[in-house]
Amino acid sequence: MEYLSTIGILIAIYVILAASYNLVIGYGGLATVAHPIFFAIGAYVSGLLAIHTSLPPPVTVLVGAACAMLASLLLAASALRVSGDYLLIASLGFQLGLLQLIKNLEFTGGPGGLGGIPATIVGPARTPAYLVIAALLAIATVFAIRALVRGPYGRAITAMRDEELAFTALGRNAMSMKLVIFAIGCGIAGVAGGLYAFYFQYVSPDQFEVLQSAAILTMVVLGGMGTAFGPVVGAVLLLAIPQAITFLQLPPSIMAPMQGIIFTVLVLVFLFLRPAGIMGHAGRRRRTAGLT
Amino acid sequence: MNPVLRTEGLNKRFGGIVVSDDVNLTIAAGEILGLIGPNGAGKTSLFNLISGVLRPDSGTIRLNGQAVNGQPLYRRARMGVARTWQHMLLFRSMTVMENLLVAPRHYVGESILQVAFGRRSVRAAEHAARERAHAILNRMALDDSADMLVTDLPFGQQKLIGLARALMNDGPLLLLDEPMAGVEGAAYETMQRVVRQEAESGRAVCVVEHNVSFIRDLCSRAVFMANGRILQDGPVEELISSSTLTELYFGV
Repeated sequence: MEYLSTIGILIAIYVILAASYNLVIGYGGLATVAHPIFFAIGAYVSGLLAIHTSLPPPVTVLVGAACAMLASLLLAASALRVSGDYLLIASLGFQLGLLQLIKNLEFTGGPGGLGGIPATIVGPARTPAYLVIAALLAIATVFAIRALVRGPYGRAITAMRDEELAFTALGRNAMSMKLVIFAIGCGIAGVAGGLYAFYFQYVSPDQFEVLQSAAILTMVVLGGMGTAFGPVVGAVLLLAIPQAITFLQLPPSIMAPMQGIIFTVLVLVFLFLRPAGIMGHAGRRRRTAGLT
Repeated sequence: MNPVLRTEGLNKRFGGIVVSDDVNLTIAAGEILGLIGPNGAGKTSLFNLISGVLRPDSGTIRLNGQAVNGQPLYRRARMGVARTWQHMLLFRSMTVMENLLVAPRHYVGESILQVAFGRRSVRAAEHAARERAHAILNRMALDDSADMLVTDLPFGQQKLIGLARALMNDGPLLLLDEPMAGVEGAAYETMQRVVRQEAESGRAVCVVEHNVSFIRDLCSRAVFMANGRILQDGPVEELISSSTLTELYFGV
């Protein structure tokens, strides 16, 4: 039961990550690979605050999210000034550089990771309590993003992604909209980080490598980029499939490459046969969401 | 009285190519000015300078007497510069109505705070924008297409939607970049009628167009450009009958 609940919590955390990444890349059209580092900022900041201060946990999570937001604004404000393509390169540098910094600083625990984050909830109810909190946060995230992209704001985002020049010439401040979308998406990733730190009580830099953004992107593509519930489907599938395989009791020498092969094949199959993702055609009309 | 638009000594070059060479242009309220000249004359570049897509190397752009040089593209639109594009640049994945709804001078949906906390004002503004959009589409007899995907419309109607979107901006200046290219039949008539009505309602309109009969029908005054320079500014008939200009235009 404990095992299944932990998977449930992980799925909820990845739903939050995938949904926020989808907001940035699928709706906003902002190409970035730095999502794991904002996840990391949220985790480290809230973890460190929990260790060194007596702030209530929700406050430390919010501070962590605020820090992720601030860092994302610094990155986007400088990179987007040049161009949208530049954001991709700058985000890669930001992701790699900051993670190196985390690995080499003393107070973050260095490459060994940050341990000793206090248990805020103790007793047998701990795991179920976290499962409920994580699930509620995931649901709130998905529905908040859905509400955002459905109304007049979503219409503006779509127009901006379709034809930025014409959009700006109508009097819309595309730059500030991009900054806001980016900051919100990255701030949400920071919340996921805080949740992660408090549940696992241990944060290691290896969990925030740049490859994580490939995993999150796979969830988004598989589920349906630019759809509200696509990231949910993607996160559930990509986390549940490997767990299901473990029940086959295959030897580890086959298991590890199997997972990689399955993910790669899934992405390829989807990009060829259903580029809009599983939830892609559920909408009433075709919308070309993506990195254009 | 101030003209709606006045440019003074506008210069712009890209390396060795001069797209704007000491351009002095005025457009008055209620006037339809034709802007003609061969390809590469700098007509679209002039639109880009006026609307704020490009920054001039030197010179001043005044809107109702106020210099707007320092204002970025989106602010000039809010100050009342509405324009269309040669290649329309419609929002392809959106319906006709949605294309128009993002286009008012001030759009409430742009601010996340307003969307989240100002529900009542958002609803009121959306309602007003929808009314305005319907009125514009009605004038073009396109009200039935409001919920169609914009790319599903025939080309001529897409051109009209480009104009309709610009008209959502109720500002004093309207710049039309080749509104007639590829447009014929009913859409042609509609375009002509609506542009004329806009001028009659007091807007200053400037039209870049290769279709000479369209210019002749609509404009009393026209400007001939070549190599970034204004060669002649005067009555349309005079420009069209000038043999030197015809030579420059057609290369004969």
